Amino acid sequence: MRRVAIVGIGNGKFGIRKDASLRELAFEPVKECLDDAGISLGDVDSMVTGIASDEFSLAFQPSAQIHDYLGFNPKPNFRVEGACASGSMAVRTGWLTVASGIADVVLVVAAEKMNEVNTGVATEILGRAGDSTWEYPFGTSFPGYYAMIASAHMDRHGTTEEQLAMVAVKNHHYGMMNPLAHIQKEVSLEMVLNSFVVAHPLKLYDCCLISDGAAAIILASEEKAKEISKKPVWITGLGCGTDTLGLNERRDLTTLEGTVFAANQAYKMAGVTPDDIDVACVHDCFTIGEICAYEDLGFCKKGEGGKMIEEKQTYLDGKIPVNVDGGLKSKGHPIGATGVSMSVEIVKQLREEAGKRQVKGAETGLSHNIAGSGQAVAVHIYQRD
Amino acid sequence: MEFKDFSRSINHTKLDKFADYLASGKIMGTTCKKCGSRYYPPRADCKKCFSDGMDWVELKGRGKLITFTSINVPPDYFDVGFKNLTPPFSKARYTACPIGILRLDNGLSIMGWIPGIALKEISVGLELVAVPVTLPDGTVTIKLCD
Repeated sequence: MRRVAIVGIGNGKFGIRKDASLRELAFEPVKECLDDAGISLGDVDSMVTGIASDEFSLAFQPSAQIHDYLGFNPKPNFRVEGACASGSMAVRTGWLTVASGIADVVLVVAAEKMNEVNTGVATEILGRAGDSTWEYPFGTSFPGYYAMIASAHMDRHGTTEEQLAMVAVKNHHYGMMNPLAHIQKEVSLEMVLNSFVVAHPLKLYDCCLISDGAAAIILASEEKAKEISKKPVWITGLGCGTDTLGLNERRDLTTLEGTVFAANQAYKMAGVTPDDIDVACVHDCFTIGEICAYEDLGFCKKGEGGKMIEEKQTYLDGKIPVNVDGGLKSKGHPIGATGVSMSVEIVKQLREEAGKRQVKGAETGLSHNIAGSGQAVAVHIYQRD
Repeated sequence: MEFKDFSRSINHTKLDKFADYLASGKIMGTTCKKCGSRYYPPRADCKKCFSDGMDWVELKGRGKLITFTSINVPPDYFDVGFKNLTPPFSKARYTACPIGILRLDNGLSIMGWIPGIALKEISVGLELVAVPVTLPDGTVTIKLCD
């Protein structure tokens, strides 16, 4: 396997993007990442597109809209789908394409346009990410799945609604420092706790947003990376894991086994441990998700995720800064785009280009991206020279 | 009875008798004829030994709640309160019904509606029993009761 680096990054504005269609959203970060790498589309050998849902795209084969709009044809492009982890699965596929020697320079673009449909329909589409045969008949929604994980976590580990709310407070705080974030607004603990209950015990501010947006990166082989970039960021570890479709068959509702599996693979491949991680983007689609991620990624012991946020260990000056780009919570969660946007943020951090939210001297980063309520998980480790 | 009368979505499965069983008052799982693995939700094929021979078995529905929620923003399909009401009733609010997962003594778990208990009275560990229910429109589902 050849070494693979990220040599270009782009991230469009996340939010309710009524000004643009799916293909136009995708164009923005592609242009930016080509400019960042200092190459043209003609230098790209192959492309991978991450999009989660046909139903949000209102199209079959939405990836064709994108390569057509870019004028990439007849070169290779196809879509990778991994629900809310589609972006990271596309990065993984792009990495494999370069590492295997099939291509030297690969464009990975991921996009989602969720606001083509209303909230009720979005809730319906996302609810079917669980077991659409055996859970859906009970009116399950996406917040509902994580709410059931939260209820179990609170019972088993004594996690409190206040601790969940603290994750929202942190991520909204850092979202203020990210001009690309969907919502730039500080929230107080009281605001989170008093907000509308979406699915007990999760409240409005415990939940991520229904966002539109796109992100893109350029991956290159070692030889090309050294030619193109002065600051290549290497993807040195990749892990992927899965879990049961329905929550009822989980051995432990408070552990996402796919995360544990993927993280162990990624740490082993990169030859690092959780203590080596300087900065992380984790899947906080709901505040409980971030608390589970601390535990399942090994940043703290099982059951101590609530304490970790309470002690502010994941703030910029804490033990390990997490989601200092605002996370899915504040930056927004255009589901397919999220994984690539995480890669973009980690590269900014490792290049020391993250501005006010920069983690000083960050050398090793991690991204953690979940499909649904843990059915598939991707963990990547990134290192700079 | 069609399977969709339970699933509200999926039309076809090798397990479509499940809905008929519910209508007759039974919650059924399956057991592998070859290796004895037990399943709920029922499966037509065994994931332990890959046998495709399964027997239906009735589940005794008593167990302990392992988790629960109550969803105030429902998927479009379930948002009947808003959709089917016409003025002057358009301000009527959807009333959320708690749901939960019950772990039975044999280790299998059943999801169901919890219509009879106020949310603040529900907690993990609560002992409940899963029972089939036929709704006024003729469709079938499962509820968890005292």
